[in-house]
Amino acid sequence: MTRDAIDGISAPDGGARVVRAVSWMVLFASLHGGFRYLGRRGMLVTARRVEMRLRREVFSHVIRLPLSFFGRTPTGDVMSRMTNDVSAVWLLLGPGMLTLVGTAISYVLALLFMARISVTLTLASLALAPVIVYTSREYGKAFHRHHRKAQESLAAMNAAVQENVTGIRLVKAYGLEGREEKRFHSTCREYYRQNISLSKTSAAFHGAIGLLAGVGVAIVLLMGGWLVIRGRLTLGGFVAFNAYLAMLSFPTMALGWVINLFQRGGSAMGRINEFLAVHAEPWGAVLVPPRKVPGAPFLEVRNLSFDYGGENRGEALRGITFSLRKGEIVGLVGQTGSGKSTLFSLLLRLYPVPPGTVFLEGRDVSGLGLDEVRRAVSLVSQDPFLFSDTILANIGFGRDVPDEQEALRAASMARFRAEIEEMPDGVQTVIGERGISLSGGQKQRATIARALLAGGELLLLDDALSAVDSETEQEIFREVLSVRSRTVLFSTHRMASLSRCDRILVLEEGRIVEQGTHDELFSLAGVYYDLYSRQMLARELEAAP
Amino acid sequence: MSNGSEFYFYEDRVEARGIDMRLLRRLLSYLAPHKGLIAIALAGLVLGTACQLVGPYVIKLVIDRNITPRTLDGMVGRIALYLAALAGGMGFLYLQMFTVSIIGQRVILAIRTEMFGRLQRLPVSFFDRTPTGRVMTRLTSDVEALQDLISSGLVSTVGSVATLVGISAILLWMDARLALVTFAVLPALLLFVELLKKFIREANREMRRKLARLNAYLQEHVSGVAVVKAFVQEEKSGRGFDARNDEYAAESIRLTNFYSVYFPGVELFASVAVALLLWQGGIRVIAGAVTFGTLVAFLEYAQKFFNPIKDISDKYNILQSALASSERIFQVLDTEVSPEYLPLSRGRKPPSEAAEGAPGEGARHSLPPAIEFRDVWFSYPKATGEEEEKREMVLRGVSFALAEGETGAIVGATGAGKTTILNLLCRFYEISRGEIRLFGRDIREIPREELRRMISLVLQDPYLFSGTIRENVEAGGAELERAVEAAGVARFAAAWEGGLATQVGERGGRLSVGQRQLVSFARSLARDPKILVLDEATSSVDPVTEHEIQGALGKILTGRTSLVVAHRLSTILSADRILVMHRGKVRETGTHQELLAARGIYHRLFTLQFAER
Repeated sequence: MTRDAIDGISAPDGGARVVRAVSWMVLFASLHGGFRYLGRRGMLVTARRVEMRLRREVFSHVIRLPLSFFGRTPTGDVMSRMTNDVSAVWLLLGPGMLTLVGTAISYVLALLFMARISVTLTLASLALAPVIVYTSREYGKAFHRHHRKAQESLAAMNAAVQENVTGIRLVKAYGLEGREEKRFHSTCREYYRQNISLSKTSAAFHGAIGLLAGVGVAIVLLMGGWLVIRGRLTLGGFVAFNAYLAMLSFPTMALGWVINLFQRGGSAMGRINEFLAVHAEPWGAVLVPPRKVPGAPFLEVRNLSFDYGGENRGEALRGITFSLRKGEIVGLVGQTGSGKSTLFSLLLRLYPVPPGTVFLEGRDVSGLGLDEVRRAVSLVSQDPFLFSDTILANIGFGRDVPDEQEALRAASMARFRAEIEEMPDGVQTVIGERGISLSGGQKQRATIARALLAGGELLLLDDALSAVDSETEQEIFREVLSVRSRTVLFSTHRMASLSRCDRILVLEEGRIVEQGTHDELFSLAGVYYDLYSRQMLARELEAAP
Repeated sequence: MSNGSEFYFYEDRVEARGIDMRLLRRLLSYLAPHKGLIAIALAGLVLGTACQLVGPYVIKLVIDRNITPRTLDGMVGRIALYLAALAGGMGFLYLQMFTVSIIGQRVILAIRTEMFGRLQRLPVSFFDRTPTGRVMTRLTSDVEALQDLISSGLVSTVGSVATLVGISAILLWMDARLALVTFAVLPALLLFVELLKKFIREANREMRRKLARLNAYLQEHVSGVAVVKAFVQEEKSGRGFDARNDEYAAESIRLTNFYSVYFPGVELFASVAVALLLWQGGIRVIAGAVTFGTLVAFLEYAQKFFNPIKDISDKYNILQSALASSERIFQVLDTEVSPEYLPLSRGRKPPSEAAEGAPGEGARHSLPPAIEFRDVWFSYPKATGEEEEKREMVLRGVSFALAEGETGAIVGATGAGKTTILNLLCRFYEISRGEIRLFGRDIREIPREELRRMISLVLQDPYLFSGTIRENVEAGGAELERAVEAAGVARFAAAWEGGLATQVGERGGRLSVGQRQLVSFARSLARDPKILVLDEATSSVDPVTEHEIQGALGKILTGRTSLVVAHRLSTILSADRILVMHRGKVRETGTHQELLAARGIYHRLFTLQFAER
C-alpha cells in the first residue's frame, strides 16, 4: 500500500512525499511484524498445548486398554499413532491453521489492493493460481508417497542391520560376512532408489513451480506494460502490483501444502479416534462388592474356560477347577502350550474372566476392582521385562514411591542383593539400553524382587527361574516360603524343583488332568509320571549299579 | 515393515564446536570418484544462478526501454528473453538438484557399505561394549546427517555464495550508491540472525532430545504394558509420561517463541531495507541519477539477496552436525579389525613350535589332539585405558586336550568360564597367555576361512536369520539333506505346507524354541565340521521337545570331535570326557563314574543339579 503511494509520487515529482511514505512504510512493516509475532505465537503455542493434551489423553487411554488389544495391535502400530499421527494433528492445528489464516488474509487484502490498481491485471495474474495450487498439492501427495516408501526401505535396512549385529557371532562363526554384505547392499540399493525418485520428484516440483511463478510475472509484465503504455495504469501502480503479486506467490504454493496437511491430519485424527474408541478395561467393582467368606479357600477356580478369540486357536483353558489354601505352595506342570501362562494371566484378570469362575477368599474376582485383584496377586512372568531405569525404580515398580531399604530387602530375598551392591551406583544403577545390561538370570531375579516388594499375598511364578541355577532357585524358594501367609503357585520345567510343593497340578491341552502330591501323582503312572520319569530316566539308570 | 523397527531413540550429543579441517578433508575424499557429476552439478548451479539473475535485469530493461518511453518496440522480445532465462534457470536448477542428490546418495551408499563391511570384521568385543542401538544409529542417522551435508549443504552453499557474489556485482555495477544502501542493513541482520539462531539451534537440539526421551518411554511402556497392568501402575506410568510430555511441550513452545521472533524479525529487516532503498532510490530517480527501471531491478534483487543470507547460518549448523556424525562414523571405520581378518604374519612363530617334537612323545602319540588348550589365560577386553593387570581373569591357566572323535562336556557353576572356552575356540577373542591348538596347529596360525570351515558353533540362544528354514541351514554349509535329516528338522518341516521353504520370521519367531534349536543343529551340521562347538540351551522346553533335542544331539555328537557346555544330564553322561570348570580353571577331568567316585566338585554339582527330592 505504502509502496504504491511512494512510487506513484516518486516518478513525477516531489521529494518530501517520498520521505513521508517511507516513514509510513516502516511503521506498517513494524506493526505487521508485531502482529505476525503475536499471531504466530498465539496459534502455534495453542496448537502445541493441544498436541500435548492429545498425547497425554491417548497414552492414559492406551495404557488402560485390555491386554487383548496389545495382542492384536503390533507395538509399531501403537507407536506410530502416538508419534506420527499426533504430529500430523499438530501440523494441522499449528502450521496448517497458521498458514491457512495467513494465506486467507494475504489473499483478501492483496486482492483488494490489486483490484483497486487494475481489475483486468488482477484477473490475468490469477489465471495461473489454480495450476500452482494443484501442482503443489499433487507434489505433496507424491512426496508423501515416495517418502513413505523410502521410510519403509529404511526400516528394512534397519532390520537387516539389527539382525546382523544381533547374530554377529554366527556371522563370524559360519563365515557369512560376504553373504551378509550382499544382503545389506541390496537393502541399501533399494533405499537409494527410493531416495533418488524422491529427489527427482522434489527437483521437478521446484523447477515447475519456479517456472509457473515466472510465467505469472511475465504475463503481468506483458499486460501491465501494455496497460501503462496505453495510459490505463500508472508506473507506480504497476510496480506496486508486482510487489503484491510477489507477496502472493508463497501463500499460493503453501495452499497446496496446507490442503495436504489437512487431509493427512484429518485421517491421523481418525486413526487416533479408533484407539480412543476401544473400550478400556472395566476397572471398577460392582455396586456392592462381594465380601470375604470366612473359611473359603484363598483361591478357588471353578470350571474356568477361556479362549483368546479369533484365528480358530480353540480354547486355551477348558473347565479348570482347583483351589489353593492360604500358605500353600502348589506346582503347575505341563508342556509348552498346555495353558500355564494363560491361567496365570487370568488369575490376574489380564484378560476378562467370566463371572463365577475365579474366587479370592470367597469373593468373585469379576466383582472386585481390578486394582484390588492385582494388588492381591503378584505375577513373575516367563519373560523378565524390566524398564530402562534404575534398579530401585524397577524393583520398586509396584510401589508408588520405592524405598531403598525395602528394595534391598526384596533383592536379598531374590538373591540379587550382592550383585546390586557390586554395581557402580548400587540400586541407583541404570539398566537397559542406556545403562548396563543384566544377564538372563539377573533379570529373572530382579523381577522376583519386584514381585516380592509389591507384596501380593498370592505369588505366581511362571517358569520364572529357568535361567537361575538350581542351588539359587532352592535358596529363593526358601526365602519366599519363609512368609507363611504367602500362597504360591508356580510353574516349571525342572521337575526336581517340584519337591517343595504341597501339591502339583498337571495341565494338558488346557485341562487339569492330574492333581495331588508328588507321590500320589507318581503312583498314578499317568502324565506326571511320564514327564517326571523321562527327565529322571537317565539319572535312575545311572543310580543302578 | 512399519513394526517398531523405525523407532530408534538413541540420541548422541551434538557438541557445538569448530570445524575440524582434517575431518572435512577426509569427508571430501569420498566425493573424489564423482568428479564428473560434481562438475555437472556446479555447471548447472552457476548457469542456473546466472539465468535467474538475468530476470530482474530484463524487467529493468522493459521498464526503462518500453514502459517509461511508452513504446511497445522490442517489448515482446524482452519478455521472451525473460521467459527463456527463466526456463533455462529452472532447467539448470532441476539438473543441479537432481545431480546433487545422486552424488549424495552414492556417497552415502559407499560409506554405508564400507561401514557395514568393516562392522563384519570387527572383533566380537566391539559388539560387547557397543549396544545394538548405537551401532544402528551409526549406520542410519549418522549417515543421513552426511547426506544432508552433501545434498543440501555443500552444493547449495556454493550456490548461495555464487548468488550473493553475482547480485553484489550486478548491484554495484548498476549503481554503487544504491548498492551500498542495500547492504546497509546487512550487519544488523546478520547479527540478529546469528544471535537468534544460536538459541534456536540449542532449543532445537534440546527439543529433539526430549522427544527421543518421550518416545523411548512410550515404546517401553507399550511393550511392557502387561507389567504395568500386573502391578497396577497405570497412574504412575501416566505421571511419568506426563512429565516427559510436559518437558517436551515446554521445549517445543520455547522453540516456537524463538521462531515467532525470528521470522517476522527477518522480514522486518527486509522491509526496512526496501524502505531505505525506496527512499534513497526515489530521491535519486527524481534527481535523474538512476532510471526507474534500475530502482525496480534493485528491489527485485534485494529480495533474492536476503534468502541466501538467512540460509547460510543453517548451512553452518548442518556442517557442524555432519562433522560430528562423520567423526563417529570414522571412529567405526578406524576401529581395528579382528586379527583373524589380517593376513597371517609370516615372521611370527608360535612359541611352542619347538615343543612339537619334544622328547617323550612316542610314535603312539604321533596324532596330535584335535583340541588342545595349553595354560590359557584370558580376560574380556574392557573399556580402553584400563590396565591389563586390573582386569579380572576369566580363565586362569586352562589346559586340556581332546582327541579326534571325542566329545568333551564342560560343566561348572555360572561364571566359571565355560562359554568363554567356546568363544576362544572360535577365536572371537584373543587370549592373553598360553596357546590353543587344533590338530597340532596354533589357532593364530590357521587362516580364518580354514578355521571357520573346521568349526561349527551352536549358540545357547538358537538365533535364526529371517528367511526360510532352507536358507538358514544352508548358511551353515552345502549338505542340506543330510543335516536336516540328522537334526530332526526334516520331520517337523515335512508336516508344513511350505516344508523347508517355510519362512522362520524375524529371529525365527514363527518356530517354537525347540524347533529353533533343531534348525540351529542342522545349520551346524550342514558343513560336516571337523569340530562341533555347542553351548547347550539352558532355557527349558517341555519334555517331549526335550526328548527330540536329546535324540538329535546324541546323533550329532557321536563320533565327532565336539566340545559342549553341557546342562543336560544325558549330554554329560554320553561325553567321553567331562571337564569340571571352577573359577577359571579346569579342576577335574574324567568320566562320569570316575568323577562321582572322586567326590569332588563334580559330585557336589551333580547332586545339586539333579538331586531327587
